[in-house]
Amino acid sequence: MREITYLEAVREAMSQEMRENDDVFILGEDIGVYGGAFGVTRGMIEEFGPERVRNTPISESGIAGAAVGSALTGMRPILELQFSDFITIAMDQLVNQAAKIRYMYGGKGKVPMVLRTPSGSGTGAAAQHSQSLEAWVAHVPGLKVVQPSTAYDVKGLLKAAMDDDNPVVFYEHKLLYKTKSDVPEEPYSIPLGKADIKREGTDVTIVATAIMVHRALEAAEVLEKDGISVEVIDPRTLVPLDEETIVKSVSKTGRVVVVHEAVKRGGYGGEIASMIAESEAFDYLDAPIKRLGGASSPIPYNPELEKSHVPQVEDIVKAVKETLNKA
Amino acid sequence: MAKEVFMPKLSSTMEVGTLLQWLKEEGDSVEIGEPLFEIMTDKINIEVESYEEGFLLKKYYQVDEEIPVNTVIAYVGEENEEVPEEAPEGQDQDDSGTANKESAEENDPVKVEEEEVTTTTANEKVRATPASRRVARENNLSLKSIEGSGPKGRVQEADALAFLDLKDKNLVTPLAEKIAADKGINLDQVQGSGSRGKITKEDVLGHVSSESTADEKPERIKLKGLRKAVADKMLESAQSIPHVTLTSDVDMTKAIEVRKSLLPVVEEQTGYRLSYTEIIMKATAHVLGNHPTVNASLVDNEIVMNKSVNLGLAVAVENGLIVPSVPNVQAKGLADLTVLSKTLGMKARDNKLTPAEMTGSTFTISNLGMYAIDGFTPIINPPETAILGVGRIIEKPVVVDDSVVVRPMMVVSLSFDHRVIDGAPAAAFLTELKERLENPYGLLV
Repeated sequence: MREITYLEAVREAMSQEMRENDDVFILGEDIGVYGGAFGVTRGMIEEFGPERVRNTPISESGIAGAAVGSALTGMRPILELQFSDFITIAMDQLVNQAAKIRYMYGGKGKVPMVLRTPSGSGTGAAAQHSQSLEAWVAHVPGLKVVQPSTAYDVKGLLKAAMDDDNPVVFYEHKLLYKTKSDVPEEPYSIPLGKADIKREGTDVTIVATAIMVHRALEAAEVLEKDGISVEVIDPRTLVPLDEETIVKSVSKTGRVVVVHEAVKRGGYGGEIASMIAESEAFDYLDAPIKRLGGASSPIPYNPELEKSHVPQVEDIVKAVKETLNKA
Repeated sequence: MAKEVFMPKLSSTMEVGTLLQWLKEEGDSVEIGEPLFEIMTDKINIEVESYEEGFLLKKYYQVDEEIPVNTVIAYVGEENEEVPEEAPEGQDQDDSGTANKESAEENDPVKVEEEEVTTTTANEKVRATPASRRVARENNLSLKSIEGSGPKGRVQEADALAFLDLKDKNLVTPLAEKIAADKGINLDQVQGSGSRGKITKEDVLGHVSSESTADEKPERIKLKGLRKAVADKMLESAQSIPHVTLTSDVDMTKAIEVRKSLLPVVEEQTGYRLSYTEIIMKATAHVLGNHPTVNASLVDNEIVMNKSVNLGLAVAVENGLIVPSVPNVQAKGLADLTVLSKTLGMKARDNKLTPAEMTGSTFTISNLGMYAIDGFTPIINPPETAILGVGRIIEKPVVVDDSVVVRPMMVVSLSFDHRVIDGAPAAAFLTELKERLENPYGLLV
C-alpha cells in the first residue's frame, strides 16, 4: 500500500468526496490559489474551481455563518479555519447556531458541515496560534468532535465527518501534517465513535489523543524495555466517545494514564477519567487515574518553553511508572 | 402526646441496664411515681418509677435484655395513642452515646445478619485500590489483614491476589502436616492460628480433641451485668494501678479474747453476733486515722485526702462481688459496726443495696477468713489507695519469749497504689494495724 502524509490524506478525502458529491464545497481564508495556511487545499482550486473552493474574507464568524446557512439549504460545506484558536471568533455560529438548529427545528433542518482546523503547538506559532481548545467544543451538545492522529485515520474519519448530517469539528494537528502512513487510494470511512487500539498491552492503558498518540507509542517502546506492557488507545473522536473500548482496556490493565496536549485543567482528559471512574472499570482500577495535559499558562513562543508546556515522551514514561508505583 | 420512658443512667459508669421485669403491662394505667419496671445496673437492682401519668402504651424490650442508657424503652401517654412500632433509634443524649449504640447493635439479634456490611465498612477504612477491594469482596477477605505494597501502604490487586494465593496454599507447618496425615485429618477443616493462618501442630491436635469432644462442648456464658462490671473494674484497677502488696502475720490471741468478751454484749444490744470483721474494721479505721494517705483517693491526678474513714466491705454475691460502704467507721462503736456490716451484707446478697450504700468508700477490706485461705493479694477498689486482705485465723507455732508456742495467727495483706504512697508509709500503716490487732484493748482508749 502506498504511504501518504496526513496532509495529503486530508486533501485526498476532500477531493474524492467533492468528485462524488456536487453539494460538497470548501470555504476559508486563502484556501484557493494559496492552498490554505498549511497547504492542505493546494491544487484543489485548479480541479474544482473557485465556486467550490471559495476564498473568504478574514472573518471566521462570517465563514462559519456562511457554512451553517449553506448547510441548511442542502449543501455540504467544509470550512477551514487557519488556526483552531480562531474558532473563538466563530463560536456563536458554531455553538449557538450550528449545534442547535437541528434540535430546535425538530429535525426539519440539518447542518451537515465540517469545520476543519489545525490545532496544537510545536511550530513556534506562539500563544494565539498553538492552543488545543477541543474541550470547549466537546462540551456543547450538537457538535461532534474528531481528533485524528494518523494519515489513515484522517482520511477515513474525514469521509465519515463529511457524510454526517451534523456539524463536525475536525481537529488536525499541525505537527502531524507531515507524518505518513499507509492509506488506501479508494475512499473509505471510519465510523465516528470508534476508538482504535494503537498498541495492545497488559499493564497500563494510555488514552491519548492527536499527537499524544505518537508520544504514547514512543513511551510504550521505552517502557517495554523495562518490562512494562502498555496499551495505547486512541479515541479518535471525542464526541461521540467510544467508552466501551476504553472501559474494556482499563478493566484489563487496571491502570490508566490519560494524555492530551490541551491544558490539563478543564481538559477533556477529565471527562475521560470521570467516565472511567463511573464505569464498571472502577472495580478494576488498581491505581488512581492519572491525567497528563498542558500547563495552565498560554503557550510560550520560546521553543524550549513551548516544549515544556505540553507532555513529552519522557513525561508519559514517568507518569506510567508512577501509576505502576515504579517511579 | 406520648412521653418516652428512657433507660435511666444511674451512675457515671453505667452504660447499659438489664431489664429484670416489667411491673406494668401494655394498656395498664400508670401514675406518677408508680414503679414501671425493674432493672439491674452494673451493681444493683432498682425499680424505675414513672415520671408521667397515663397508660403504658408500648414496651419495646423483653426481660433479660440489656439496654443502653437513654434508650427509649417504652411510651406512656393517653389511652390508644399511637406510638412507633419499633423502638426509636438515636436517643443517645450524652457522651456515652457511641458506646451505647455499639452495645445496642451487639445485643440486637436482628443486626447479626449485617455482619458482611460491617466487614465492608471495616475494609473501607483501609487504603486500597478499587481492584483490590473487588478481589477482597469476591473472596471474602478482610483488607485489613493484607499488607499493601502501593504508595503509603495502599493495598493493590496484586497484594490481594498474593494473599489469596497464600491462603489457598493452606499454609501448614511440616509437623502439623505429618500429624494430620498420620491421623487422617483433612487440613481444610482445621483453622490455623499461626502467622497468616498457618496451621500448627497445636491446631491439628486441637482439632482432634474438638472432634472427639464434639458432644461435650463447654458452656459459654456471656460476660454481662454484675460479672462484667466486676471484670471491667478489676481489669482497670490491675492495669492502671501499680500494685504493691505487703503482708504481715498477726497474733489474734487478744482479739479473740475481746470478741469473746463483747460477743454477748453486742448480741444482746443488737441481735447480731459480733465477728472478727467488725474488730478488724474498728482497728483499721483507728489506724487509718493516723495514716491519712492510706485513706486517700486518687481522682483525676489529684490525691484526695478523705476526712472520714468509709470502709468498703467486699461481699461475695451470686455472680460477682459487691462492695457496700460503711461510712464514718472511726466514729462508730462495735455494736453499730456489727449492725451495719450485717445489714449491708444481707442487702448486698439480696440485691437491695441503694447506690448511696455502694459509693463513697475510702478503703476496702476483703475478708476471706471464712475459707481456708491464709493470705492473698487483693486488688485495689479504685479510686482508693489501698485495700486490706484478711486471711483465716489458724493456730501456728510461733516463737514468743524464746519459746515455741501455738498462737492463733492471721495473715493480713495490704495492696497499695504506689503512685500515691510508697512502701515505707504503707509498711508503717500495716505495722501499726498489726500492733493494734494484737493489742485491741488500745481501741477502747
